[in-house]
Amino acid sequence: MSNPDELLRIEGIRKTFPGVVALDGVDFDLRRGEVHVLLGENGAGKSTLIKMLSGAYTPDSGRILVGGEQVRIHGAQDSERLGIATIYQEFNLVPDLTVAENIFLGRQPRRFGMIDRRRMEAEAAELLKRVGVNVSPRAQVRELGIARLQMVEIAKALSLNARVLIMDEPTAVLTSEEVEKLFSIVRALRADGVGIVFITHHLEEIAALGDRVTVIRDGRSVGQVPAATPEDELVRLMVGRSIEQQYPRERTDAGEALLKVEGLTRDGVFHDVSFEVRAGEVVGIAGLVGAGRTEVVRAVFGADPYDKGAVKVAGSQLRRHDVGAAMSAGIGLVPEDRKGQGLVLDASVEENLGLVTLRSATRGGLVDLKGQRAAAARIAEQLGVRMAGLGQQVRTLSGGNQQKVVIGKWLLADTKVLILDEPTRGIDVGAKVEIYQLINELTAAGAAVLMISSDLPEVLGMSDRVLVMAQGRIAGELPADRATQDAVMALAVSTPTTETEASRGH
Amino acid sequence: MATDTLKSTAGAGGASGGLRRLLLDNGALTALIVLVVALSALSGDFLTTDNLLNIGVQAAVTAILAFGVTFVIVSAGIDLSVGSVAALSATVLAWSATNEGVPVVLAVLLAIGTGIAAGLVNGFLISYGKLPPFIATLAMLSVARGLSLVISQGSPIAFPDSVSHLGDTLGGWLPVPVLVMIVIWLLTAFVLRRTYIGRSMYAIGGNEEAARLSGLRVKKQKLAIYAFSGLFAAAAGIVLASRLSSAQPQAAQGYELDAIAAVVIGGASLAGGTGKASGTLIGALILAVLRNGLNLLSVSAFWQQVVIGVVIALAVLVDTVRRKAGATAAPAGTGGGNKGKQALTYVLAAVVAAAIVGATSLLHSGSSSTTQKVGLSLSTLNNPFFVQIRAGAEAEAKKLGVDLTVTDAQNDASQQANQLQNFTSEGLSSIIVNPVDSDAASPAVRAANKADIPVVGVDRGVNKADTAALVASDNVEGGELGAKALAEKLGGNGTIVILQGQAGTSASRERGAGFAEGLKAYPGIKVVAKQPADFDRTKGLDVMTNLLQAHPDIDGVFAENDEMALGAIKALGSKAGKSVQVVGFDGTPDGLKAVEAGTLYASVAQQPKELGRIAVDNALRAADGEKVSEMVKVPVKVVTKENVAGFGG
Repeated sequence: MSNPDELLRIEGIRKTFPGVVALDGVDFDLRRGEVHVLLGENGAGKSTLIKMLSGAYTPDSGRILVGGEQVRIHGAQDSERLGIATIYQEFNLVPDLTVAENIFLGRQPRRFGMIDRRRMEAEAAELLKRVGVNVSPRAQVRELGIARLQMVEIAKALSLNARVLIMDEPTAVLTSEEVEKLFSIVRALRADGVGIVFITHHLEEIAALGDRVTVIRDGRSVGQVPAATPEDELVRLMVGRSIEQQYPRERTDAGEALLKVEGLTRDGVFHDVSFEVRAGEVVGIAGLVGAGRTEVVRAVFGADPYDKGAVKVAGSQLRRHDVGAAMSAGIGLVPEDRKGQGLVLDASVEENLGLVTLRSATRGGLVDLKGQRAAAARIAEQLGVRMAGLGQQVRTLSGGNQQKVVIGKWLLADTKVLILDEPTRGIDVGAKVEIYQLINELTAAGAAVLMISSDLPEVLGMSDRVLVMAQGRIAGELPADRATQDAVMALAVSTPTTETEASRGH
Repeated sequence: MATDTLKSTAGAGGASGGLRRLLLDNGALTALIVLVVALSALSGDFLTTDNLLNIGVQAAVTAILAFGVTFVIVSAGIDLSVGSVAALSATVLAWSATNEGVPVVLAVLLAIGTGIAAGLVNGFLISYGKLPPFIATLAMLSVARGLSLVISQGSPIAFPDSVSHLGDTLGGWLPVPVLVMIVIWLLTAFVLRRTYIGRSMYAIGGNEEAARLSGLRVKKQKLAIYAFSGLFAAAAGIVLASRLSSAQPQAAQGYELDAIAAVVIGGASLAGGTGKASGTLIGALILAVLRNGLNLLSVSAFWQQVVIGVVIALAVLVDTVRRKAGATAAPAGTGGGNKGKQALTYVLAAVVAAAIVGATSLLHSGSSSTTQKVGLSLSTLNNPFFVQIRAGAEAEAKKLGVDLTVTDAQNDASQQANQLQNFTSEGLSSIIVNPVDSDAASPAVRAANKADIPVVGVDRGVNKADTAALVASDNVEGGELGAKALAEKLGGNGTIVILQGQAGTSASRERGAGFAEGLKAYPGIKVVAKQPADFDRTKGLDVMTNLLQAHPDIDGVFAENDEMALGAIKALGSKAGKSVQVVGFDGTPDGLKAVEAGTLYASVAQQPKELGRIAVDNALRAADGEKVSEMVKVPVKVVTKENVAGFGG
């Protein structure tokens, strides 16, 4: 069964996290001297898969073979020993050390117990030359731009004699010129016999660089096709799941505009973003990770500043970078990072539910605890939060119930425009539907919802209108009846430039 | 979902055993009870109403500081400045009322305002200057301490009488500091539990970003939180000073660490989001019980510090293990694992108890009740001079067959007051005190007077209280003698520098004053620099090195003790004893060796062993009701190479 050219084979990998099946029967193989593209929507399971290879996770079942031998990868050391190197989107470099020190971090060549700086720098220079980047081994990493950081990461991978190089969306942060340069390096590595696993969302890159493509959808590998496959076919493979009645959207007639965003711009992040949200409406924002969706809604909510443009509620302009102003105008934000930004994990359900209304429940410095408790009990009941009691720590709740708590605190504050950023990420199907019902109730009551989601069927199923963002701009707007997966994906991977300085991603 | 329901049943099951659950939920309370039981078993003097009230008084200042720090720690910050701010506030009060004649009410308001202002500065630097709390409050620690020295010019200032009543007792038995502590405890609990700012603290400490995105005004809240901490620090400073009837610029040094320890022992996490007022109170009580118990058990002063450190670590360890057991047992959801972890907690608690009982019984010298008991409270044991006093006292006590307990106040007047209080409640036959500060020791000595226990002062006197005798060498006279020796060696002409002792200590003041007085007879001698080196050899070396940069041509050095003189000699190198003459003070063994070697020209020798010996003698005679003379002068002598042989040290 062993093909001498085969570096890596994955068979029937399964991985579950509490409440979620992340991977369920993924097959994959990688040969010497090929670029194998992993394609899939956000959340399809690509990251989980590569974390299996880098040793961050271990599979529940299934086999990983390296060079024909079954292996267990329990940590970074294991994967390093097997010649597998991973370059993540966030680089693992120490900013205050030099390039050479970073390349050989933990493995610096030593002489008499002292670091042999000269040898280290000479070897680093050699590696840097191989990846074709003109940077001094003595330069501090802090001073390098993103493209060069990536080259340093690649040099580091080479220094480990990696035979398998995994690159997680390496082009997301690069300009097109830099992408070209990266491609030529990848091609050179391929010629040297390195096997490369390449993750990208930019379909045009597949034909330009790839050899084979494995498509992953909902934690399964749904097909392996040559890189020359037409883009529409790839998109269909990637998103082609049947939409069942899991999106129970009940549309209401849209009323007057509650929120107006005009020409919102933050240099280098998003540009000239305009849209409005009307009462009783669910507006979806689709787009790839890094398209600037989260950044826009955070700016709208006042959590981050913006450079140009205006946010208007009921005709009056909100103060820039002022969460309080946005809140009193009736805007609420359920952030993307539930645990990091939405909840006080060690506090109780009651405490978390009362966070937004804490100020309004205060008279003369004293909090009306009884009222807060009654309100929390009411909303927890209404949302069906499954818990031992209001005193339970939210840390110990399941993801779906945690999300209900985050939404609940805004419901208590009579929010008019609720912004939901990835509201169902990491939540099981049952809880998802409950959250969709909540959205229906909100809009039926005359509020509006602005929802970011990377789960395309969800955006399509729940939105009355879909805004598609690409590279920091609104690439297009689709009414519900014209919003198909293909149409949205086509806009999401487009380059909606009016100016040439558009940066890719963040 | 499965975990959710399991958690609920576990909670319901635990609620049945009320006390057991209370103890399991609060590791610190368990530790406190273990300590109290162990100490009651070991010492008959421990579990008395008087002694328990003493513990309350002794815990008060730390507890009040710690309540303020609780706010800060709950909101995931840290405040290192509270000790210094307490000293500054007390100094401001005493200075404005006593020196400037400001009405007392206004002075108190001024002191409280000072505390709040210091807290606001901290909060401002942290919120708007984006400094890490550690750095901002570390800076304030230094600034506030410095300002209190500047305002007081280094000397303690008498506290206005009306405020000093805060240090008294109500109705003859309830000490006011305890009352203040309880009031502030309730206030803290109320603020944390019921008020907007209190609830905000938990949210900010638990997850600052989530709090901000929920509309809490994090920056403004932080300002208020640090202001609260400053306010409580001011209250603690006023209580501390009123107990001593004097505001000491050097008071409450290192108290911030005690306060932080109390908060953490009480179950708060330095990562923020958790913490309770009752926990902090228990933490402060644990520290006070420990110090009190170790005093009563006559555990050696040096070992006391070891034991305190070990207990702090163990108390927090018990709590951490307990918490981990709770956290891991819930998701695992298996009853068996939970029980195993609980058992581990019990085992750990048992180990702690055994360790405390074992250590204390091992360390405290078995005392028999028939012999006379004498207590000696030394200002510090950080310095050979006082170690010599102890050696002389211990030798004499052994010879006479009395039981001598020695404590070390670590140059902290308030800690000394605690130790004297403990001696008094133990009912010793007599007490010897070497005051950290003559004024600050007086309330504690008056309490001993009231209990009819004779007190003998050694080395320094006690003001405004009755002492049966004072055994001392005259520091002022010594300073004069030092000036004479140095000036005559230099032939009446030359430039010299002075290394001063710790600012604010009486030894430094008196020796300095004596030296200045002595120098008046020699107008040819010019003092070009005067810098403090804190009686410390290393600092003496550093300060002298710096001074030599500015004044390379000096002819002489006067150091207010031998330790600094020896440091200066190191800095001078080959010049010492040749082109530069050094005169020290105390006549410690190391100093005398240097005199013999010729590097130290002279040391104004006291005879510390004699001081200790004579003090014990007098204390015993006073206890037996014999007549003793009020002032026992132990001669001071300038020791030079010619007469050094006669001084054995």
